[in-house]
Amino acid sequence: MSFSGEELDEFKAESLELLENAEKQLLSIDKGGDFRAAFDATFRCFHNLKGAAGMMDLEKLQVHTHKLEELLMGFKEATSMPKPYVTLFLRGIDASRILIDGGDVTFNYDVESEPAPREKPKAPELSAEAIDEFLSECEEIVERVSANLQTIEGGNEIKPRTDDIYRDIHSMKGSAYLYGYKKLGDLTHAMESSLEKIRQETHLPSKELLNALFRSLEIIDQYVTLVRSKTDRSTLDLLIPNLENVLNLCAANLPMNFSEAAKPTSIDEPVSVPVSKEPPQAVLGKESEGATSIRVPISLLDNLMTLMGEMVLVRNQVIQFSNKSDDLEFVSMSKRLNVVTSEIHEEMMKTRMQPIGNVLTKFNRVVRDLSQDLGKQINLHLHGTETELDKSLLEAIKDPLTHIVRNSCDHGIETPDVRRKAGKSDVGNLTIKSYHEGGQVIIEVQDDGKGLHREVILQKALEKGLITQAEVGSYSEKQVFNLIFEAGFSTAAKITNVSGRGVGMDVVRTNIERIGGTVELASIPGAGTKTKIKIPLTLAIIPALIVSSGNGTYAIPQVRLEELVRVEQSSTTSRVEIVHGVPVFRLRGNILPLVDLNSVLTRENRNDYRDGTLNIAVLNADQFSFGLIIDRIQDTADIVVKPLNRLIKSLQIYSGATVLGDGAVALILDIPGIAKVARLETAAARAIETSEDLAEKAKASSEVQDYLIVRLNSPTKHGIVLGFVHRLEEFKRSEIEYSGRLPVVRYRDVILPLISANEHLGYPEGTKSSQFVSVVVIKKKEALYGLIVDEIMDTLSTSADLDSKINAQNGIFGCLNTPNELIVIIDPFDIIERQYPNSKQQELYPAPSLAADSGAQAVDGKFPKIPATILLAEDTAFFRKAIKAVLEKTGYRVVCANDGQEAMDLLADPKNTFDLVVSDIEMPRLNGFQLAEAIRKHHAHSKLPMLAVSSRADIHSMEAGLKAGYDRYLEKLKPNILLSAVSELILKARKAA
Amino acid sequence: MSVTAVDYVRRRPVEQLTTFLIDGHLFGIDVLKIEEVTGKQKVYEVPRSPNFIRGLVNLRGQIVTALGLRELFQKDSSRRDDQMSVVCKLDGNLVALVVDSIGDVVEIERSLFESPPDTIPSEVRRFIKGIYKMNGQLMSVIDLGAIEKEFSPNTDPATTRIN
Repeated sequence: MSFSGEELDEFKAESLELLENAEKQLLSIDKGGDFRAAFDATFRCFHNLKGAAGMMDLEKLQVHTHKLEELLMGFKEATSMPKPYVTLFLRGIDASRILIDGGDVTFNYDVESEPAPREKPKAPELSAEAIDEFLSECEEIVERVSANLQTIEGGNEIKPRTDDIYRDIHSMKGSAYLYGYKKLGDLTHAMESSLEKIRQETHLPSKELLNALFRSLEIIDQYVTLVRSKTDRSTLDLLIPNLENVLNLCAANLPMNFSEAAKPTSIDEPVSVPVSKEPPQAVLGKESEGATSIRVPISLLDNLMTLMGEMVLVRNQVIQFSNKSDDLEFVSMSKRLNVVTSEIHEEMMKTRMQPIGNVLTKFNRVVRDLSQDLGKQINLHLHGTETELDKSLLEAIKDPLTHIVRNSCDHGIETPDVRRKAGKSDVGNLTIKSYHEGGQVIIEVQDDGKGLHREVILQKALEKGLITQAEVGSYSEKQVFNLIFEAGFSTAAKITNVSGRGVGMDVVRTNIERIGGTVELASIPGAGTKTKIKIPLTLAIIPALIVSSGNGTYAIPQVRLEELVRVEQSSTTSRVEIVHGVPVFRLRGNILPLVDLNSVLTRENRNDYRDGTLNIAVLNADQFSFGLIIDRIQDTADIVVKPLNRLIKSLQIYSGATVLGDGAVALILDIPGIAKVARLETAAARAIETSEDLAEKAKASSEVQDYLIVRLNSPTKHGIVLGFVHRLEEFKRSEIEYSGRLPVVRYRDVILPLISANEHLGYPEGTKSSQFVSVVVIKKKEALYGLIVDEIMDTLSTSADLDSKINAQNGIFGCLNTPNELIVIIDPFDIIERQYPNSKQQELYPAPSLAADSGAQAVDGKFPKIPATILLAEDTAFFRKAIKAVLEKTGYRVVCANDGQEAMDLLADPKNTFDLVVSDIEMPRLNGFQLAEAIRKHHAHSKLPMLAVSSRADIHSMEAGLKAGYDRYLEKLKPNILLSAVSELILKARKAA
Repeated sequence: MSVTAVDYVRRRPVEQLTTFLIDGHLFGIDVLKIEEVTGKQKVYEVPRSPNFIRGLVNLRGQIVTALGLRELFQKDSSRRDDQMSVVCKLDGNLVALVVDSIGDVVEIERSLFESPPDTIPSEVRRFIKGIYKMNGQLMSVIDLGAIEKEFSPNTDPATTRIN
């Protein structure tokens, strides 16, 4: 190929122009000009020249400019260029000129060679900023590589991940040498070479190599920290050659990849192919990354954020002003301003947002190392890693989260043998979940370890003098768990290097509270601990409810708001009542203490809430909820939080201030502070202490059962166990059709048979004046039935005992003796069965003849009395009581467990002996199926007769139950069938024994 | 070597003070401590705060705590309409000192300064640095440091709540 003289001349002129420009730019760098502009221009110049040289077949020039370009690429992220490099590039330009003129030069691309002796990189010449950027990049790379290594360790995506690691390590190596960190460069070089065989897929990664690589990452991390703090790194430098040897050794002893070798194509393929392909790819990857993202100092973003806050305020003011204006043009302009500001705000927020995964994925490593150190097997599950959070908050939660994770691994999850004894699988699970909820980010750390034990904590707190003996009994579960957050508290029996030094959880709480978050603990002994952290999305702008009281306007952070209740004082059932001079409100059956915002602000107590409507904001003050009576609720708004001066803050009732749309200043209420000022906290604590029957109350809380209260044509109220209720419906009377004699209604896709409760319970039908009928929909064996009642009144949570002595009537369980009145509890299943006999339970194993449906017989005489002890596992208080009552009436001794786990614990205790297990299927912690399996596996109980009693009585559940090991599977609450099955199973077991 | 304006003013044997009146008394504050002087502003009350805190002011989007100097110096606090504010920075926050009216900026020799006489009630004296003897009248110099201290209550918040 040849070119005309004209073309050559044109090329030369152009090239010289390019070179001249580059020279000018390089010199401007030397004089302290704008580096980026100069860099870009120089880069463009070399790049164009390279391209042109390639076209003109000037190979030498092409190679030369390519090398220069590559060298220049090393400064892509930099903000300055050391002098020797400028000189190098200037020399390079001179050499290019000679080459263009057809001459020949030998060019030394080594930067150190000319101005200084070799091996003395000009690190001090680099600006601190450039080094800092290099170090952050190193940290990022370490993180990425660590994540990739873990994937490889798990045996996944070996090839692509190795490529990623290779690229990262490669670029780190380049930078390390460039910035004069020779040891770091050497180490990365060793890492790079050790991966070579895996990249070519001829060998598989070995455990040793991965460990060595992890160790290398650790060293790099330490190295970076030392460089940052400008501390002596000589000890670390000594470690590196050793590590290099280990890496080389591991690389030499890698297992062969047979699956790859077996492929016929790979035999002839020379191994060098991927190698030659790789470097340009790395460059390309970097280039595109550089083009789509830039580094910006955080302080700049902070300033922008502050200004954004101001802009939101101005926007709000403009909007308010424009509402009063008649000028259409102005109004439409302000609308536009509104939209644009909102968009900017949104985008602005995003600039600071980072996925929480950046922090969470680090825990893979933490958990991996810890489980090795502690000899435990722990699986970490991460959910919601894409949840985004303000960068500064992300930084702030890193340490607290690490602490919680370490705690879970060390104290929470047991060693495999302990787990096995407890009937759990060897491998412990640690789950970290994060998600958005109500303008907050929730992070849950849950383990399935041994949980927290109330006694242990209290004992420890006593020892440490955090509480007094007198307080022990009065502590609620929440209060006990809160003790863990006290300074100087640790339940670890021995101090390990992981945790247990008694510093920590208090720091965790302080750190989280500092960023406006809350932390909560929940735990079930034996089943695990859950730590729930709530943090605001961002600190600067929060959603709030704007309310007014007196003349003032106040903001309540949305985070604290649970619900708003509007109360008509004229109503008789739901209104604010005064008890001993303080207002209270009955919220769904529980007494909610009320605080009047006006009283808090004016210090005047108000006790007459006789007229009008009241607004109550139900607020959450960490440990408890309370209602705040507010004059007016205005609006919700995103408010910009401004700090208050300390004197005002020390009043404890304000946490900040904000400027509203109309320019007015609103104080932000400090909800826990208000509770404190109103003496609610102490009052709440005292209420528990002085309660005369504390034990009773504690028991009550676990024995509470919910009922749906309905009115029938009878002076007594009737109740249905809420758990039975599928839905509540209201049908027009005209919608009711008849199938034969039976009333039905078309309900979604099915025909819903209707049953009148009045008719079945023997009450006269009420007057059919109303246009609508209220129907309680009950699900029985996958079919729906509608129970017609006169009125659906309310729900009731009560711990009152069910008295089943007087259930002399079909369709009634018994009576509930509440403090105010008697409530008759209906048995909807019985009513349904009476109306539709074929809906009855199908027995997989038909019970013997005495299981006849004999109605309300006296059970005593019918079944043989066998002295036996029965273990009853049932989580619903109602059924627990009812089944227990039925069994005890027949003379059995009954021991109750609240769930499967508790049942298992009782069984594991050798002091207990049981003749039969009666268990529910749906239970927390350990469900009925799991319980049966666990019992069958247990050496001492493999033959123990077991009976499942469940309302989940479809054919699949039954088969699953029998498969799990139950001898019989019954539908819930058929006393006669239950008793016959019980006696049969016990007798059978006795006979066999 | 150049001398900055601040250094220059500080080194002179005279002090420049912004003067203002509170209930007929002449007060002064070092002119360099003052950010700006504003007219009457809408004040948003802070319930439960000590009485010398008039409330919060929205000063171009910044929230400023307004302090009533009448209350602070135990003068008759029946509030008047023609009040001005002297805005200073205290403890990192902006504070508006609400005064009756603003006077001139005066230049006065440091030699005329004297510490406050002991007979002044201590609750007033603690906010006064000293007194300048001027022609025909005395000017009390406000001790911003003491006010700042008042603003950073020590650990016992209960004392500030009594009012």
